[in-house]
Amino acid sequence: MSRSGIRALGAGLVAMAAVLSACSGGGSSSAGGRQTLQLWFWGASPQQQKTMQSVLVDGFDASQSKYDLKVTFNNAVDKNVQVALSANKGPDIVYGSGPAFSAAYAVQGKLADMTPYAEKYGWKDRILAPMYESGTAHGKLYSLPNSLNNLGVFYNKKVLAKLGVGVPATFTELTADMDKAAKAGLYPSVTGNKGWKPVNQNYISMFLTHVAGGKAVYDALQGKIKWTDPKIAKAVDDSAAFYKKGYLGGKDYANLNFVESMQLLAQGKSPFFFGPTLAFQFASDSFNDAAGNTSDLGFAPFPNVTAGLPSPSGTLGTTASLSINAHSAHKDGAAEVIDFMMSEKFAQQMNKSWPGYWGVPLKKFDLDPASYTGLSKAYVQSVKDTIATVSKGNYGFFAGTFFPPATATAFTDVDGVWLGTESTTDFLNKVQSTFAAEKAKGLVPPVPEPAG
Amino acid sequence: MTATATPAPHPTGRTPAPDHRARRAYQRRRSLVNHLLVAPALLLSVLVVVVPGVLTAMAAFTDWTGIGFHADYVGLRNFTDILADPVFTTALGNNIKWLALFLSLPAVISLLTAWLLLRRRRTRTFYQVVYLMPYVLAPVVNAMVWLNIIYNPNGGVIGALHIDSPLSSLHGAIYAAAAVDMWHFWGFLTVVYFGALRQTPVEQVEAAIVDGAGSWQVFRHVYLPSIRPTLLLMGVMTVIFSFLAFDYVYLLTQGGPAHSSEVMGTYAYAFAFSAFEFGKASAVGLIMSFFGLIASCVYTWMSRRQLSS
Repeated sequence: MSRSGIRALGAGLVAMAAVLSACSGGGSSSAGGRQTLQLWFWGASPQQQKTMQSVLVDGFDASQSKYDLKVTFNNAVDKNVQVALSANKGPDIVYGSGPAFSAAYAVQGKLADMTPYAEKYGWKDRILAPMYESGTAHGKLYSLPNSLNNLGVFYNKKVLAKLGVGVPATFTELTADMDKAAKAGLYPSVTGNKGWKPVNQNYISMFLTHVAGGKAVYDALQGKIKWTDPKIAKAVDDSAAFYKKGYLGGKDYANLNFVESMQLLAQGKSPFFFGPTLAFQFASDSFNDAAGNTSDLGFAPFPNVTAGLPSPSGTLGTTASLSINAHSAHKDGAAEVIDFMMSEKFAQQMNKSWPGYWGVPLKKFDLDPASYTGLSKAYVQSVKDTIATVSKGNYGFFAGTFFPPATATAFTDVDGVWLGTESTTDFLNKVQSTFAAEKAKGLVPPVPEPAG
Repeated sequence: MTATATPAPHPTGRTPAPDHRARRAYQRRRSLVNHLLVAPALLLSVLVVVVPGVLTAMAAFTDWTGIGFHADYVGLRNFTDILADPVFTTALGNNIKWLALFLSLPAVISLLTAWLLLRRRRTRTFYQVVYLMPYVLAPVVNAMVWLNIIYNPNGGVIGALHIDSPLSSLHGAIYAAAAVDMWHFWGFLTVVYFGALRQTPVEQVEAAIVDGAGSWQVFRHVYLPSIRPTLLLMGVMTVIFSFLAFDYVYLLTQGGPAHSSEVMGTYAYAFAFSAFEFGKASAVGLIMSFFGLIASCVYTWMSRRQLSS
């Protein structure tokens, strides 16, 4: 090769190094003297992204003069965050699909201790105790939930009227209504885990709350009883019986997702949809003022199966968690963003056009449902009802929020019991051994004791 | 008469002649250039293949969560846990079913179609483009099309025919997912086989026809031996792909219902990204690679045998 060839090769290598260096990206840049704060979020719909931009991004940017917030939307956010944090990179504000995710990151030193910020901004006094505690580990705060979430019964008032039944107040009434719907050629209820297997956690959590009771689950999380306890085994058995009778999406549990389920509910193909309050956001395409059916949708607590448990009771969860990256250069700014999101004003604005995802877990949630339109009205009411229920201590625990990650994954496998490929005993033995290993690693988030 | 020039021996202790020094310098420079030219590809291979491969192998013997840099050595515990898990047996069984399906149905249909295409001189380009369409589409697009148009009980073909969706069946889900992958794969295989069939020497085909061989005999005794290396290569690639199956199962069933359609790829993914058990995920990855390695060894052995014969 000639000298000029060698020079060209050298130049090529330098150029390649420059390209690779550019591709590796960098930290947050400053624009106009302001530092950029990064938040990675899941791939919300264009309308939801617009709301996020105007309320969160523009609102936060206008509220101070030091930072610019940038939100990046991506459906693989959990995986992206996990990979980035492993490399000590990633966004300043860490989004996670619940405190179980943040607990795993906290143990590895990937999240900053937010306790000083909690003291500075008075978060502990403002936020509901179970929600605040769910983000702590070893006495330190590592995450705050953006919204509380409750599992219950969505119903179509028109379908109930057509069937000649009212909103079920007891479990017997609920199953009788579903039997009636099945006889009328409808789905007893619509729901399914198509595209997201952890949906199973909703239903096993619901049965744990309404069969075993929140207190039994609390005891299991504390290690006072084992997950193989007869109360818990009964909850699993009852959930299996419920599934086998077709009360969860009939034959189509594996073929429906929440969006399709809400469409079917709006079309009158079923009287019920069991699910989390976050499903309000999936309902807005099917129940809206344009279609004139907003008032057809109602939400009620799931009735207790076991007599004597506190009623009404909810299965408490969160939609997501917000933390601060331990390697962020702008931890103060990240805390400011989280504080901005933990306010009534933020909740008020977000809920105007995005019901279902922003039930900010404040003790004082003084939003007036009457001042909202569309589904936001019903959603804000459901959040207020949930807060009232939680304040009385009547709650159970959603696996995806309060159980450590591998234990929550083990509970996802409950469909093995439902479909008869695994016995309740084998299933719970697996859960117990998984939980014991995670408890030994300190991955169980502390939770306040429910009333019963 | 030819004169043979014998190079004069170097007198010991003397300085090499100037032309010899220049040749050595030229060789050194050329060697350096060669190394520089190879370096990017070598570096990339080391960074992208060797380093992650070695790290994965190491992680398989640890309890690494996939988040921090801390991991404890756990010996063979990940492997013993996995082997004792009935879901692993299901996943391995499903990978073997996947392999059996892919080595039979798409292979036979593609070969048959490719053979038929040989006779379609005018329209074969059009057919090749049509057959390749599912292959060039992203798996997520294919999966969505099948989920919403074919397997959808409310408005899909399955619903119109009033039959239960195979995706919700314990026994049918794996075949339903494999069907979509085979639908996406067979067109590619057809084009590959067709390309190979076209390489068969025309003289051999004509000689066989002149000798009175029928269509089947020509195919059996002329075309098939001619495309044997291609068949072998695609067979080995199918074995490797079958043990790496992931996308269609993940997109269509996520391994469900009740793990009935789990394959080793989705089994490993759940460990890595749901349960934060990267150590176990790496162990599953190693087992998957083991089957691919066997297939590669068999291919190498057969290729050598073919060359030597």
